[in-house]
Amino acid sequence: MLVQSIRTGIKKGVETTWMLAKIIIPVYIFVTLLKHTPIVNWIAYVFKPLMGLFNLPGEAVIVLVLGNVLDPYAAIGAIKAITLTQAQITTLAVMICFSHALIIETAIAKRLGISILMVSGVRLSLAVVFGILVGKIGGLLW
Amino acid sequence: MVEIMKEAVFGSMKSIYSMAIIVVPLMIVLQVAKDYQVLNKAADLLRSASRLLGISKTAIFPLLVGVFFGISYGAGVIIDSSREGSITKKDGILLIVFFAACHGIIEDTLIFAMIGANATVLVLIRVAAAILLTYTLSRRMDSSKAVLHKPKEENI
Repeated sequence: MLVQSIRTGIKKGVETTWMLAKIIIPVYIFVTLLKHTPIVNWIAYVFKPLMGLFNLPGEAVIVLVLGNVLDPYAAIGAIKAITLTQAQITTLAVMICFSHALIIETAIAKRLGISILMVSGVRLSLAVVFGILVGKIGGLLW
Repeated sequence: MVEIMKEAVFGSMKSIYSMAIIVVPLMIVLQVAKDYQVLNKAADLLRSASRLLGISKTAIFPLLVGVFFGISYGAGVIIDSSREGSITKKDGILLIVFFAACHGIIEDTLIFAMIGANATVLVLIRVAAAILLTYTLSRRMDSSKAVLHKPKEENI
């Protein structure tokens, strides 16, 4: 039974890695290319005030959008492509962990008969509240 | 342009490799835990925690599944349990709220820690927020019983 479990585990691990690769590689390439265009400066400039709330640079908005529309792995691809401090990565990780893949995961909530608006609202509020908190504290400590 | 493309391709390959060396062992551990029903045993030990969250004792198992294995598995167990009638509508709502703040904690934490996030901060904040949110909502649901009687069976 143990051998069977390990075998299934390896299979799932490889499948998950493949799934990750399919998302992370295109996102990483896309964000790296974007980084070398003026568009990223423009995004950074426009979102600077908003992202400043979380002590993040403006371009970090790309991470949040990708994480919420697609999934956390897309956010990871973007985090790796942008230069960030450890405190900033922690802030983004907290925010993405609370609120990600809103489209897919609210579909799951719906199957359970629970209001999509409520679930998404709760998750986004948690992300914003704790994003501000961790960002501010991180800013003080590092 | 070639330089940029190289940076993009090699950088992403490296990320995937570093993910794989975490994800594959993790999936093995989770699969063994699942097959040996570790969570059933843990659920027995954690029965007293159900009072704090305002859920039935039987809802602890789906809770642990969602927190450790991820929301899709958690939701699957909730759907099964509510079909069997071993958890109530209130349990279902409270579990989903708990999952909204905290699910798939092992995989998420490891992957984010690997790219440089602080794992302790991540786990503590998610678990604390989930407990606080579920506790508050369960107390409010107790005081306004109306929520519990809304018939919505067709979705479950």
